[in-house]
Amino acid sequence: MKPALLALGVLLPLLSACGAANQRLVQNDEYGDWRNGRARNRPLGSNAGLVVFGVDKDREAREAAANGGGSGLSVNAYLWRATLDTLSFMPLASADPFGGTIITEWYTPASANNERFRAQAYVLGRQLRSDGVRVQVFRQTLDRGQWVDSTVSAATNSDLEDKVLARARELRSQSASR
Amino acid sequence: MRKILLGTTAVVGAALLAPAVAVAQEAPTVRIGGFFRAYYGNTQQTGRNSTGPSTLPTGTGGATGNLPADSTGNIARLSKNDFSTDAEVHVFVNGKTANGLSYGAVVEIAFNQQEGRNIVQQRASTGKSTASIDEYYAFIASPTFGQIRFGDEDGPVGGLMNSGVVTNFGSGGVYGDRESFVSRQANDRTTTAPGALGDNTKIIYLSPQFFGFDFGASFAFNYNEGEDTGCSTNQSSGFCDSSYAFTGASGFGVAAAGPNFSARRNEYQAAVRWRGSLAGVGLAVTGGYVGAGAARELTLNGTQARVFNNLNVFQVGAQASAYGFTVGAQYEHGDSNFFWGNTLRGDRPMDQFFAGASYTMGPFTVGGNYVIGTFEGNSRSAFTGPTAGNPSGLTRRADFANGAGMMRRLGYGIGGNYRLAPGLDLLAEYSSYTVAERGRDLDPSNPGVQDRATAKVFIVGTRLAF
Repeated sequence: MKPALLALGVLLPLLSACGAANQRLVQNDEYGDWRNGRARNRPLGSNAGLVVFGVDKDREAREAAANGGGSGLSVNAYLWRATLDTLSFMPLASADPFGGTIITEWYTPASANNERFRAQAYVLGRQLRSDGVRVQVFRQTLDRGQWVDSTVSAATNSDLEDKVLARARELRSQSASR
Repeated sequence: MRKILLGTTAVVGAALLAPAVAVAQEAPTVRIGGFFRAYYGNTQQTGRNSTGPSTLPTGTGGATGNLPADSTGNIARLSKNDFSTDAEVHVFVNGKTANGLSYGAVVEIAFNQQEGRNIVQQRASTGKSTASIDEYYAFIASPTFGQIRFGDEDGPVGGLMNSGVVTNFGSGGVYGDRESFVSRQANDRTTTAPGALGDNTKIIYLSPQFFGFDFGASFAFNYNEGEDTGCSTNQSSGFCDSSYAFTGASGFGVAAAGPNFSARRNEYQAAVRWRGSLAGVGLAVTGGYVGAGAARELTLNGTQARVFNNLNVFQVGAQASAYGFTVGAQYEHGDSNFFWGNTLRGDRPMDQFFAGASYTMGPFTVGGNYVIGTFEGNSRSAFTGPTAGNPSGLTRRADFANGAGMMRRLGYGIGGNYRLAPGLDLLAEYSSYTVAERGRDLDPSNPGVQDRATAKVFIVGTRLAF
């Protein structure tokens, strides 16, 4: 009996992991709380209560929803401004502060007339984080009167991201010192 | 065996603790929550006027006899009216690791350390509202492998995963806060609610839900909770959580109130639950089992006797809800006494049926529930010491008549509440609970045989959950 129970105890958790598509984690407030019903009816289930330590994600989300009704940015403001500043030497094709995307037009530097660049930048979230921005640069060269795609050195994208982050840091420290 | 165990544990550990999904890490938060409630209660309980003056300084002596009315006709009795307050403060810690595991801890601080006042010595006793721990446990949860809770917490059968126990109105109806107003006389208290199975220290596994199903299992070595062993010495005494046999064990099938002093050992629970909806009706069905061994009785010359049945109870429950209505029912059967304790060998098994319904309309909820059960009453056997022909040492009591020993316990509650604000309820509730056992005097201090004891409680008050 005992080895069978033991095997069951090992197998069942493993088996439960096979459900994949039809599977979800049962949240803590879906289990009964038997203090003769006294502690139940807590507002918002396990998210109730006053946060005394740490960042209240729910409150952040609520406030973001309250502020974001059409006017505010839905991405990090420092990263957004820094990306605009960094890419401002190129003409902008579109900038969507809600999706966090910035797309530029083709730009030909004065020093090299036979190549042109275009950049797409994504600001990924509300947090000011080093992985909060992605920049992708496209390059074409003029070959016998035709623009053809050509490679961009791998460092270009990350260099531009670094510039954005450095600018965001500047903006952040400026606003903090004010 | 050990190799297999270590090997499989490693596999499970690796599978549980290293999901390959990248999720944003969340620094832990600490939240404070809890509840406060204050009630007025009017109680009508049989035998509450049998208050012979207790001359014992400790106040622990039994009721001695009914006093006659004095010359002006006054009868000493306990008052029917009382206020009752209670609160708990809960601390919730929640965090998430970078690989998607959520983790945390719950610490529930209660303020009802003592049920009855009991003076050990002047200025050396515990206050009735001294802080104590209700439940505390840590958990680790993964979306793929479910959740492990470790600590003092209800089990899957004893509160976490039950279906059909409708208590979402008033203070809970027959399973509500009525016990705050009822004295322990004749055990006229609702002792077989799911949560009364106990929040002894256990390890609990709760699966994720797949195709509507989830299941849970738990294990506890004994009935005790908290930090220490409870053993003051190496003596095999009942105070020791881990004693396999102790003198006087046969008296602790019913747990002693307060110190969690019970014969229950190696308790395991398992439950399967299905939740889903059919044609707009929300459904939940749970089947579960709780089993446990028991400590043996140890005689003074060292003989051990197996006096208890194993705890061995099956449970099924179902509920349906639609358009604000919820109806549910639950049935339990197996070897257990009326305190979720081990029965003595030869005792009858318990049967219990519960049904309830509630209706919610806007801020109002009204409902009712009903419970009836048959249990072994005043046990038919007494421990007299093992002999060659009778290794259990249990002998049939001389006064045991055929058909005796059957205790019926039935009760109902009706009530409602009005939600004044989120978390803040005003509530009113009436409940009645009766214990009846043919031929047994449940109130020995009154003349004659009272084979029936009833407590009726009316509660009105407020409850704030925060």
